[in-house]
Amino acid sequence: MEGKIIVVTSGKGGVGKTTATSSIGAALALEGNRVAIVDMDIGLRNLDVVMGLENRIVFNIVDVVLERCKIEQATIRDRRIDNLFLIPASQSDNKDVLTTAGVERVAKELRKQFDYVIMDSPAGIERGFENSIVSANEALVVCTPDVSAVRDADRVIGILYSRSLTPKLIVNRIEPARVRRGEMLSHEDVVEVLAIELAGLVPMDDKVLISSNTGTPLVLQNDSKAGQAFRRIARRLNGEENVPIVVPTDKTNMWSKISRTFGLK
Amino acid sequence: MLSGLLKRFTGQKKKSKEEAKKRLQFSLIYDKLEVNDTTLIDLQNDIVDVISKYFEIDREGLELKVKRDDNVSALVFNTPILHVRRKQA
Repeated sequence: MEGKIIVVTSGKGGVGKTTATSSIGAALALEGNRVAIVDMDIGLRNLDVVMGLENRIVFNIVDVVLERCKIEQATIRDRRIDNLFLIPASQSDNKDVLTTAGVERVAKELRKQFDYVIMDSPAGIERGFENSIVSANEALVVCTPDVSAVRDADRVIGILYSRSLTPKLIVNRIEPARVRRGEMLSHEDVVEVLAIELAGLVPMDDKVLISSNTGTPLVLQNDSKAGQAFRRIARRLNGEENVPIVVPTDKTNMWSKISRTFGLK
Repeated sequence: MLSGLLKRFTGQKKKSKEEAKKRLQFSLIYDKLEVNDTTLIDLQNDIVDVISKYFEIDREGLELKVKRDDNVSALVFNTPILHVRRKQA
């Protein structure tokens, strides 16, 4: 059976796309899937450092598409999580070096080798973005609850629809206390404005920066609210039913109660 | 301090997120109505062709624009009619 290609995109940069991609990819692998994460941000690679695999890069996705190496040669295996692989971006090439046809050919091959291929799209809606969505079977749009991220998400959602993709939304960096005070758009507001189905809600979490500092997977930290939120997103993507979309709350005891109920702590 | 207390008692505190939401809803609608020039010119030519079947119009004096108000948006097409074409039997 062929695997699924999921593109993670946002329009605006800096909303947590790379964190979302690496966390969802890692979580899907923890669920027992063979997963390849592909960094499509040519010229500005980041997934390798976030995942702590930067020292092991030999070849990259540009080498694969331009047939300078085989897919296996560019694939880095994560040593902490079984069945998790990264194909890094190139840091030196021009971002327009890849053609849509070339990416499609490689994507087809990747689908045969992996259960899930997660494409981390670059910010913007130019060529790199087009290359990331061209082979996608599913799309996730990441946005934060602020006017610029929501507006850019709307633009990207429109483009995805025009390519017959029905994206789902991840609202990232929700700060429950500020939502309660009316200083921050709630996830209901964002969903109403964008008229889109939710994939999940992720709270603001200091552990995200810390785990990227050390290059350790966020989803392996049971005390990370964001990490646990990404794990639930992955389980839903994986077809598991009855995984609730938990609304972030600032009542700590309440949260641990929910976590305990679902056996996460 | 005092005004803060007063606001708290009267519940007058304005929520900035409400404004964010309203502004977003408007700008997203406007974003979608933004039509590029080539589309507008193509549209104008097509409209002129259709109208010309029934009326003789002044091609120089016509005007097509997208009009936006707070609540409604409309396509406005203005053209002077020179005379009606007689239908040929």
